[in-house]
Amino acid sequence: MSLKLRDLIRKVRACKTAAEERAVIAKESAMIRTAIREEQSHFRHRNVAKLLFMHMLGYPTHFGQLECMKLIASPHFPEKRIGYLGMMLLLSEEADVLMLSTNALKNDLTSSNRFVSGLALCAIGNLATADMSRDLAPEVDKHLKSSQPYLRKKACLAMARCLTKCPEMVEDFVDRVVTLLKDRSHGVLISVIQLMTQVLIVEQKSVLENPDYEDDYGTPCQDAFVKLVPSLVKLMRNVTGGGYAANDAGGATDIFLQVHILALLRLLGAGNEQASEEMNDVLAQVATNTETSKNAGNAILYECVQTIMAVEADDGLRVLAVNILGRFLLNRDNNIRYVALNTLSKCVVDEKNRRAEDDLVATGDDDESANNAASALQKHRTTIVDCLKDPDVTIRQRALELIYHLVNSENVESLTAELLNYLVLCPRDHRGDICTRVLRVVEKYSPNDRWRVDTLITMLTIAGRETSRQVQSASIIYISRASEDLRAYATHKLIKAIRDDDGSQRGLLVVGVWCIGEYGDLLLSPYSNNEESFSAIDTNSILETLEEVIGRHTCTEDIKRVALTAFTKLSERFANSGDTATLGKLQELVKKNSKSQTLELQLRSCEYDALINAMKGIKVASAPASDDIFGATAGGDETLSEAVIAAAKEALARMPVVDLRVMNRQKSSAYADDDMIGGLDTKPAAPAQKKNDDLLDLEDIFGGGAPAAPQPAASSNDALTNGSAPAPAPASDMDLLSDIFSAPAATPAAPATGMSMNGGASYDPFGSMPSSQPQQPPSNPLDAFAPTPTPAPLPTTTAPAPAVDDIFGAPAPAPAPKQNPVVQGPSHEGLSIEFECTKPEALSRAKSTLIAKFKNSNSAAIHGLSLQVAVPKYVTLEMKPPSSTTVAPSGGNSSAQVTQSITVTNTKLGQKNLMLKVKLGFTLNGAKVEHMATVSGFPAGEY
Amino acid sequence: MISFILMVNKQGQTRCSKYYQWLPMEERVALESEIIRKCLSRSELQCSFIEYRGYKTIYRRYASLFFIVGTKPDVDVTQVEGAAAENRENELGLLEFIHNLVETMDKWAGSICELDIMYQLEEVHFILDEMVMNGYIVETCKGATLRPVDLLERESRKGEAMFK
Repeated sequence: MSLKLRDLIRKVRACKTAAEERAVIAKESAMIRTAIREEQSHFRHRNVAKLLFMHMLGYPTHFGQLECMKLIASPHFPEKRIGYLGMMLLLSEEADVLMLSTNALKNDLTSSNRFVSGLALCAIGNLATADMSRDLAPEVDKHLKSSQPYLRKKACLAMARCLTKCPEMVEDFVDRVVTLLKDRSHGVLISVIQLMTQVLIVEQKSVLENPDYEDDYGTPCQDAFVKLVPSLVKLMRNVTGGGYAANDAGGATDIFLQVHILALLRLLGAGNEQASEEMNDVLAQVATNTETSKNAGNAILYECVQTIMAVEADDGLRVLAVNILGRFLLNRDNNIRYVALNTLSKCVVDEKNRRAEDDLVATGDDDESANNAASALQKHRTTIVDCLKDPDVTIRQRALELIYHLVNSENVESLTAELLNYLVLCPRDHRGDICTRVLRVVEKYSPNDRWRVDTLITMLTIAGRETSRQVQSASIIYISRASEDLRAYATHKLIKAIRDDDGSQRGLLVVGVWCIGEYGDLLLSPYSNNEESFSAIDTNSILETLEEVIGRHTCTEDIKRVALTAFTKLSERFANSGDTATLGKLQELVKKNSKSQTLELQLRSCEYDALINAMKGIKVASAPASDDIFGATAGGDETLSEAVIAAAKEALARMPVVDLRVMNRQKSSAYADDDMIGGLDTKPAAPAQKKNDDLLDLEDIFGGGAPAAPQPAASSNDALTNGSAPAPAPASDMDLLSDIFSAPAATPAAPATGMSMNGGASYDPFGSMPSSQPQQPPSNPLDAFAPTPTPAPLPTTTAPAPAVDDIFGAPAPAPAPKQNPVVQGPSHEGLSIEFECTKPEALSRAKSTLIAKFKNSNSAAIHGLSLQVAVPKYVTLEMKPPSSTTVAPSGGNSSAQVTQSITVTNTKLGQKNLMLKVKLGFTLNGAKVEHMATVSGFPAGEY
Repeated sequence: MISFILMVNKQGQTRCSKYYQWLPMEERVALESEIIRKCLSRSELQCSFIEYRGYKTIYRRYASLFFIVGTKPDVDVTQVEGAAAENRENELGLLEFIHNLVETMDKWAGSICELDIMYQLEEVHFILDEMVMNGYIVETCKGATLRPVDLLERESRKGEAMFK
């Protein structure tokens, strides 16, 4: 025989380990199962009681479900009672067995014993499914009219459940509510008010789900209940007046009833001027007269404030509500302060939305009145800020949340200072989040650039360890967008911060090292403004600082990458200082990573080394051609070499200011166009696109930097190198910093891109095999790069010749231009343009790509080329930068051809033809030339 | 609405649990242990509200026993719009409700203690059923709650007391 319930509990309590407990329960479960199988009806309810206990402990009890059903049907009251309890606890709404209970429930509902009916109502209220609701609602409805409050209150909530499950029954029960509201029993009142609340919510939900519902006129229940607002107000008055004093709970008269009435009023008054008007008085009365010395009173006040904020209350009342919350904030009880902070942030958000709506609809007058509550809120600012010093972290978090909402352009400086103070104190894992928020605040409300830069640097000094990438790049962008004076200030400040830091604030290091690289020359002169002054720093100590940073074993790869870039840039910045020792050291530092195990570092190191050498090309006129990446061309073609040197210098020069919007847009389109480098690099291959779609796909995947990618892997070693070559492109997509570095690529003024990409492309194995590579047909746009193959610094570059043919062979001989229509553009002062028209996407005929090809028939080179294009309204235009801004005299040498790709989409294709207005600007023999012309004659109907 | 009411002792053992929204067994066990761990780690001075897994939990400690009420937003309207549901439940009110519950149980058992709850689990459930139904408060008046419980008890005793 199984144990008695008490004995089971005792046994379980005596267990010393979880294993023991499991054994006891397993044994007992087995006994119960046997009892169930043998239909020992005598012990049935004892067994169910034990199952309840086991269920609470978290053991499986599913085998007892049917027993509950049997007990419910039992005529004995104790059995029925435990059966219902078991059903409510052990069964889920989804349980199939539940269907079996419908009949028993129906019988019990009609029972003359009120306790039996009460049990059934309770079960319906807790468990009813949609089907059961439909079947049993009429019986429940009868109990709504019962003479006994005990049954009426249970029927109310049972009905609430039925109506949530079957919203379509709602309308039939609206009338019943009116009578119930006059009930004298407060239990019934609480229940009926909750019933009304739920009905309203269900209705709102169904309106939301069917947007075609005519919500202009309100929903039927909403309409019916709004008419009841006066009686609700009267009821509220009665309750506050002590009409139900018998139910005193915690000092105030029945707080639950009041709270629920207020919640219902909130639903009814929201968006309804008239109803709000009717409840205004009672809300004011509650707000002013409620006893606040006890928690119960505060609960009512809290609810009242929520209601005032949600309904269309007048401004005086709103200000009163905000002031009540302000008083809450001064309370010593943390619970009340928590609630106040929470509600205030909700209010601020609502207020903002409301104002936004007002702005759309009304004039300035309304605007001001809506501000009243908000300005009342601002008065409590200091109290809120004080909450940041609370020992309770929950309160601090809430206060923080609220402060973000409170910030506006007037208080931004003081509040941000508080936020930064808090940043020092707060737990580490919250810092990242706070930094992001501070950034957002600073972005939005900053009074001036200096303050912004200052704040960001302070933030990085405090929490550079935890800042996200986004914060770091934003800081850099803001510094680079500032004036020269401010840049100098920021860089001085950053280098000081880096020196003071122990190397753990990674974010600070990244930003700092970047700025030192970019604005290193500014460090060489002292800086001072009204408040602070920094003395000049010589090149050596700058280098020392940087070396110390990368020398630390905690230094991450990120920082090393940025540092490499910084060294490279510094070698340009310091080039005029004539300090050869420093310059040598810089190149040394760059080269140090040329054998790094990290591909990214190795790659950067090699590329940058090449760049530095290229830049020196001018100074060291007799650079040994064999060593130098660009030497090959330098030796062969004097003009190109000059271009290369200029390009290298330009690549290392100050980057232009990055537009934030461009950054964001670029981030969002990162997938489509791996990044700017990738985008540019695919461009020269454009004419071949039509022919080699599949090849292009692959190129896209590899960021375009890798024509080598489709090559059949000759050896695993080879494949590895190939893989590594395109690495910088996708990687830099993630690396915002290198994005910034590559930013000049986006601006048409930078031939550097072509150049630096040339450097990048030179790492592909093909570049190393000029001998085995057949001379490209002149028409191939890849030519621009092809004649400058160089000994790649990467060690393994013995790609098999056939593979080369495969890759370059296919696109190269394809006489792409011949098949595409060529439109003659303007020619001026020896510079002529041809537009070669292609359709890049087979499916969208409206979109076409025009490759502008510049030809220079002069004897001197053309510099500073710029092409501006305007199109009619029905055409959208997108331009890529030209492959170079220098056009060498052609003389039939097509390798010097400069191209620029223009993508146009003609939205009225077939009706109107494409027309372009072009403006050419360039410098020829030192004289600036400008020319405007119109280009038409594109094949009609096609472009 | 109230999603669950828990009574847990200081050792983290659940003494009574009532869920108004069905949760699978494993989730219940995980939820209970997580919540009690959070409650235990908080000091007297900290506020009695914890937001956890979308629940707003309100707890109150009486001697060695924690009374924990978990709430979720009502049939949440905002879910349809895909926004985070807003919980308009009155935290202070629920705090008062817990106190009310404890007072009611005190009145029922003289001075309530952990063992009373353990050994008379079904009685505690009956009391809870009188006070809360489907996650909504039905009755808060101590007398009105206990009278039916007593009557029912008497009714049950009439027949037999075999499972005691």
